[in-house]
Amino acid sequence: MRFYLSTLAGHRRGVLILLGWSMLEGIPAFFGGRLVGTAVDQGFAAGKPTNGVLWLLAFAGLAVAGALGQRQVFARLGGVVEPMRDALVTRIVSGVLDDPSHRGTPDASAVAMITRHVEVVRDATAGVLIQARALLVTTVAALVGLATTATALIWLVVAPILLALVLFALMLPSLAKRQRDAVMADERTAEATGSVLSGLRDVAACHAETEALRDVADQVDQQARATVVVAWANSLRATVIAIGGFAPIVLLVAFAPPLVASGRLTTGAALAAVVYLTNSVNPALHGLARTTSTVVMRLMVALKRLQEAAPRSTGDAGEAVPSNGEFVLRDVTFGWSPDAEPVVRGLSLDLRPGDHLAVVGPSGIGKSTMASLLTGLMPPDSGHVLFGGAPVDQVVPAVRHHAIALIPQETYLFTGTVRENLALLAPCATDEDLTDAVKKVGAEPLLDRLGGLDATLGHAGEGLSAGEAQLLALARVYVTSASIVILDEATSHLDPAAEARVERAFARRDGILVVIAHRLSSALRANRVLVMDGGKPLLGAHEHLLKTSALYGQLMLAWDPTHHEETPLPKR
Amino acid sequence: MAKPGDVLLFSAVRRDFRPWLLLLNAAVATTGGLLIPTALASAVDMALSGKFVLVTVLWLLLLAATEIVGDAIGIVLAASITSRATAWLRKKLSRHLLALGHPSPFAAGDAVSRVTGDCGNAGSVVVTLMSLIITVVSSAGSIVALALLDWRLAAVFAVSVPLAMLLVRTHMQLTADDVLAYQQVSGEISARLLDAVSGKRTIAAAGIAGREAGRVLHPLPRLAAAGAGMWRTQAKMMWRAGLLLPAVELAVLVAAGFGILEGRLTAGDVLAALGYTALGMGIVGQLPQLTVLERTRASATRIAEVLDTPITGRPAVAAPRHGAALELRGVTVEGALHDVDLVVPAGAFCAVVGSSGAGKSTLAAVLGGLSAVDSGEVLRDGEVGYAFERPALLGTTIGRSIGYGTDSGAIEVRDAAVAAQVHDVLIRLPQGYETPVAEAPLSGGEAQRIGLARAIVRDPELLVLDDATASLDTVTEAKVDAAITTALSGRTRVVVTHRPATAARADLVVWLENGRVRGTGTHRELWDDDDYRAVFTGGE
Repeated sequence: MRFYLSTLAGHRRGVLILLGWSMLEGIPAFFGGRLVGTAVDQGFAAGKPTNGVLWLLAFAGLAVAGALGQRQVFARLGGVVEPMRDALVTRIVSGVLDDPSHRGTPDASAVAMITRHVEVVRDATAGVLIQARALLVTTVAALVGLATTATALIWLVVAPILLALVLFALMLPSLAKRQRDAVMADERTAEATGSVLSGLRDVAACHAETEALRDVADQVDQQARATVVVAWANSLRATVIAIGGFAPIVLLVAFAPPLVASGRLTTGAALAAVVYLTNSVNPALHGLARTTSTVVMRLMVALKRLQEAAPRSTGDAGEAVPSNGEFVLRDVTFGWSPDAEPVVRGLSLDLRPGDHLAVVGPSGIGKSTMASLLTGLMPPDSGHVLFGGAPVDQVVPAVRHHAIALIPQETYLFTGTVRENLALLAPCATDEDLTDAVKKVGAEPLLDRLGGLDATLGHAGEGLSAGEAQLLALARVYVTSASIVILDEATSHLDPAAEARVERAFARRDGILVVIAHRLSSALRANRVLVMDGGKPLLGAHEHLLKTSALYGQLMLAWDPTHHEETPLPKR
Repeated sequence: MAKPGDVLLFSAVRRDFRPWLLLLNAAVATTGGLLIPTALASAVDMALSGKFVLVTVLWLLLLAATEIVGDAIGIVLAASITSRATAWLRKKLSRHLLALGHPSPFAAGDAVSRVTGDCGNAGSVVVTLMSLIITVVSSAGSIVALALLDWRLAAVFAVSVPLAMLLVRTHMQLTADDVLAYQQVSGEISARLLDAVSGKRTIAAAGIAGREAGRVLHPLPRLAAAGAGMWRTQAKMMWRAGLLLPAVELAVLVAAGFGILEGRLTAGDVLAALGYTALGMGIVGQLPQLTVLERTRASATRIAEVLDTPITGRPAVAAPRHGAALELRGVTVEGALHDVDLVVPAGAFCAVVGSSGAGKSTLAAVLGGLSAVDSGEVLRDGEVGYAFERPALLGTTIGRSIGYGTDSGAIEVRDAAVAAQVHDVLIRLPQGYETPVAEAPLSGGEAQRIGLARAIVRDPELLVLDDATASLDTVTEAKVDAAITTALSGRTRVVVTHRPATAARADLVVWLENGRVRGTGTHRELWDDDDYRAVFTGGE
């Protein structure tokens, strides 16, 4: 919310221009009642039709000016709303990509939600600017007009309106809460329906039609109830505003007779006062009520959801400078929450340039957590992860990102040329460097098929297989000068031969190679193996582990299916 | 012209008595609203005469109160009618979609949009219709009221209405291009953002969030340009709309002025004329409601389309011959399986292998009764448990997603999770088994094992695993396999697999090719065939 307001304030000039044109738009409201009153009073009722028509033509002239003002207001609205939307989108996109928590990556539906909410903010901001501004300008203009024509009655008119506005403001918080509940109920209905209908196969397989319908119907009914609750609140609000708008008119006609009789109020002034109230103030009040009940609430809910989607990054960058290229892990423990079983427990490990470590273990045991700890994406709960003597998450970001490269299982490819994709982490790399890296990881046939470095890739590596996408991601890191490379199941979609080629290519580079293994064959190529199986981690060379660890032996036995159990294990 | 959805809309309206209440309420409030300008005119004339008349003021108060209370009731009634009709349609539609089963003739995304979007649109039919009726009645009433004041006023007003119609039409044509461009660019940014969030770990590890945000936002200036275009169009439209009401008002006022001059009208009547002009012009603002009504009918037609799709239902299944758990006789599924005959002995471990597109998943679906066959017969006995390569985890919590569709308690769920080698993962989740499914950070392999637990908890006679261990490493797969053998000992298992190790463990391998059975036997018997080996090596 604060961000939103400050963004709007950042476009103060646009808002001021908008208000300037609004003044012009308010002119008919200011003079309208008086001109109609005068046209009757001094024209038609006085037997001077020409004067009457002339006054009415003046009224028409002002209406044209007002419409011109309105036209400018709408044309200028883009100048406030569009930059505001740009700033919002920029902030959200940066927030989503720079999310420090690294949990729960948004999926397609979350991205669609973000797009939808940004549009809501845009439309609602425009709606609020139009309505709130119109209310302000029109009411003030009409009240000033009223004060200059029917001075004696001004408090009769102003008091009910102010009272209604105060009451209305008091009702806002509860209205906002109900509205928010309704929006949440709406989202839950969409979620429940979405998960059941996209899992129809599983519902059928579980014979769970009854439970599925009950889950959906629960949400549907809650949503329907929430809508009616909002309607009650809206109904109350509408009543308050309607009374506040109509009471002045009744009070005016009730208290006018003695003033007219004593000559303190002319026919024209009385007419003008009623025209001001019915034609300007009342419509503006109703507009306000309509806007706040729907638009403002939608705006607030959307802003809240966007904030959740893109939390502000803490951005406290470390300042430590590593003294060498070595990694030291001491008693490292990490778990997803204080109650949950730790994923990594009491791990100690030294890595020096030239080391090639394979991390093996059952899936889901937290091998990827190792990658996040080594790259400094997450600090350990206890113990130390030191890079060149400094805690890795405290190292100057530029140095850390330059020295440590991670290739995760999920490949990042974007729409652009193959060259842009390959040079993502090494913007200064020449075409020769890129093609050389492509050759080293065995992606040359792929590059030829795509049509060279100038070929364009579609969204999400459209037209590439998962394995081909991984080859490009591998070449992209190969071309960098990173001294520590971590392959986090980065070859999971390659066939064993291609995987071996990639791992050997990376092992021949200088520095440290850590392979979080998808296949156990990766362990045979490493000079040390870390086995993670939920308990205390095991560390050692392949042969050593074979002799000392039953678990490791079991792993290796299960690995090669075409060999029978008595077949000797493959040699390194 | 009648649409298929109209019958559905009619029954949605008819099943509730509230629309009649809404109509009654609207009749009273609209009448009050139509009488207000005249009452106001008399009240102003009374004020100008300098003499207070209680009846005149009370009449105005009464009419105002009627309108205000009527509006307040109307808001609640309208919401109640719309939400009830929407909920009724949503439940009816969901029930039918669930009954249609798998594979559904409607794609998931399409079905969701019918349940959430179309039911919401169709549910508002009463309110949309009513607001159209009220507007038409109000506008007609206003013209009559103007005519009662002075027929010249009504004539002047009537000329302006066609003008208004024309205006609304031009607006709709003008905005289409910019709206389209805006949506396209907006979609482009979404697609780029989706690319970037899929690669979030790469971006985070390389510290290039700022640069990649710039890449995502590259099309933003085009979005702003299209947006500005929309505002310019709006401005043109508002300019004309802003002129229209004053123009009509001016015409009516001049006519009313001459009415005063000639003594036909009082000063208060001028106000009444202004009031009726504004009320009568209400129809211009309500014209978009016609589009809304069309949208409502289109949505109802989309709902009716689903409801009119007949439910085939699962046919009764006969028992297979003695000693067999499962028997297929001449089973054909258009475009997937041709004339498949198969007998799986009770208690056997049967592997189904074949290259992609051979019909393995279709075979798995028909043999457990998950989907129907076009011809032939499936004979089987007892409950079937299914597990898939990519299971959709349903239910409110992770624990519930395992017991989904059964009344299994916490202990059964836990035992199944232990057997599927996923218990250790689940207790590490933020709220353990109570973690909501949507909030559980699960890898593909973990989801697969939860899917396995879901099959195990049903204690089935026949277990069908459709590539359900593809994301597990070999050790975990072997553990899962051993645990299933213990937990469900003696049960028949049919396993679709790409792994030679799994095929090697099977008692019987069914080798599919192009929807036909190419061979059956043990893995070792079939291994001599070059074509069989190519299924696993990809022909290398």
